[in-house]
Amino acid sequence: MTTLGQLVLSGIFIGAIYALMSIGLTLIFGVLRIVNFAHGEFLMLGMYGAWAMTRLLGLNPYLAMIAVVPAMFLFGGLVYRLIVSPALDKPHLVVVFATMGLSIFMQNAALMLMSADLFDIPPVFGHAVTIGPLYFKAELVVGFVITVICTLVLQWALKSTYLGKAIRATVQDREAAMLMGIPVPRIFLITFAGGSALVGLAACVMMPLFSVFPTVGLNFVLIAFVIVVLGGMGSISGALIGGICVGIVQSLSSYYVAPAFGQMFFFILFLLVMIFRPNGLLGQKGAADIGIAD
Amino acid sequence: MAQSPGRISLAPARGTLSVFEIALLVLCLVLVVAPIPQNLQDIIVLTFLWAGLATAWNIAGGYTGLISFGHAAFFGIGAYTSTILLVRMNVTPWVGIWCGGLLAAFCGAILAVICVRLRGPFFILSTLAAAEVIRIAALNWSSLTGGPEGLAISPAADPVNMVFASKHAYLALMLGYLLLSYALTKLIDGSRYGYYLFAARDDEDAASAAGVNPLAVRTVALMLSAALTGIGGSLFAQYFLYLDPTFVISPEVSFQFALLPAVGGLGTAIGPVLGSFLITPMSELLRSYLGSKVAGLHLAIYSALLIVVVLYFPSGIAGALSGLSRRKGGKS
Repeated sequence: MTTLGQLVLSGIFIGAIYALMSIGLTLIFGVLRIVNFAHGEFLMLGMYGAWAMTRLLGLNPYLAMIAVVPAMFLFGGLVYRLIVSPALDKPHLVVVFATMGLSIFMQNAALMLMSADLFDIPPVFGHAVTIGPLYFKAELVVGFVITVICTLVLQWALKSTYLGKAIRATVQDREAAMLMGIPVPRIFLITFAGGSALVGLAACVMMPLFSVFPTVGLNFVLIAFVIVVLGGMGSISGALIGGICVGIVQSLSSYYVAPAFGQMFFFILFLLVMIFRPNGLLGQKGAADIGIAD
Repeated sequence: MAQSPGRISLAPARGTLSVFEIALLVLCLVLVVAPIPQNLQDIIVLTFLWAGLATAWNIAGGYTGLISFGHAAFFGIGAYTSTILLVRMNVTPWVGIWCGGLLAAFCGAILAVICVRLRGPFFILSTLAAAEVIRIAALNWSSLTGGPEGLAISPAADPVNMVFASKHAYLALMLGYLLLSYALTKLIDGSRYGYYLFAARDDEDAASAAGVNPLAVRTVALMLSAALTGIGGSLFAQYFLYLDPTFVISPEVSFQFALLPAVGGLGTAIGPVLGSFLITPMSELLRSYLGSKVAGLHLAIYSALLIVVVLYFPSGIAGALSGLSRRKGGKS
């Protein structure tokens, strides 16, 4: 029983962190209706940033957010201006291949600059957190708490601020939003840059838990895709639920079956969802159709 | 709306050969027999093989609009089938490659059942996930696939085992494969079935209203594309004589299948061939000149070029060329 509790809870914690990493992707998908195939490399860049702040400047990785998040916001804006925005009015495939090219470019640029070595940072907290008879890495629990705070703040911002309302209006109906005077191209830019900033935040939370190397994004981006589709593209609370599902599946299957099969189980879970609930678990109607509509 | 790139053909009429294609074929035949240094022959072998694979992918991706990023799974299934038959049961690859193709077609049918209804990013992501399932299975089913250590084919030259000492034989083999893929594509181009495919790709609702079953024509296209990719996988194994899941079924290989037609011109018969003839030698040469000096530099250059090409020439080399010939007042 203790083992099961330990597995489920650590699945929830790690799953929430996966969700944090996927929120940027799901927002960008919901608003721009494009899949950013370089999302994993944005995470990689953020992790190198967090690593550099910690190792070279001696900052606490959680404090590194102060620099990494705005830097990733600017980087996202730049990528939007140079690559995404020129591709938006072209056939759907152009943006797929352009972001995929960007992903290969960033991987190899990182390989050139940082070599293929794994970089990590020393533990932030020297001790584990105990909940009753259960033990957890303190970094894991802190990551979970940060994710919950971020999700709540984001949900509030989307519901209550003018910008949030404009973003939600753009998700619902692009043309109508434009007619109501919402500057849709600017909303696209802000969403893309904001989504990138959120990946930067996730990178700072993940740096104490994982090593960074040039192709680190590939592992995580597949997880992020699974989460985004499970939760329904564009939904933040969906991403949280999807992330927690993936975390639990991974944690249970790697203990009871074999670590190598952990990944396989959530890909199978993903395919099952695609067969039976193509709109995601929470399923806004028609989500599976909008991807290709324009 | 403008979801699919226009079908810009270098051939004036569907299903016929243009002067350009015949000239290209003659050039290929000369390359097969010409006495060229070994290291260049290696590049040409790969160029033919990738051109055949890109053509196979294009049947699903370009002609049908099924943008698959999971074709490495079919590639791996073909490669593993013929290699396992050869290494474990001593079946000649001349039989094995067809078994690999059939098994890949069967898996293509399964993938079609799962994914063919999905659209856009959902289809892309599902194919990516399906290929990952196959990769992890191949990695862990060691008794069959050799797991992460992979499988090796005995390098002793023996025509029965499809292992040759001369590069000319491999060149002929790969060109034969490219011609098979290309001939099937041209056949689709000029056939009734081809028109069904284009109709279902360009406007699904209108096509169903006209009596075309979009799901059925797509399933057949995906199976055909998978079978050809599987055969290409077997040939790859016979050339390199070594297989491991991390390379053969990697997402990188899937992306490569898609990138060559995207650069060359999606949905045209000649596009993927032009894509491979341009990109494969370039990336091999960049790899051999720069790869040893700075790791990653050749792929960084390659991917930067790719971004520029897809942003500014969305209909690929074939589109740019036929636009050029049209401007000269050549074809309409």
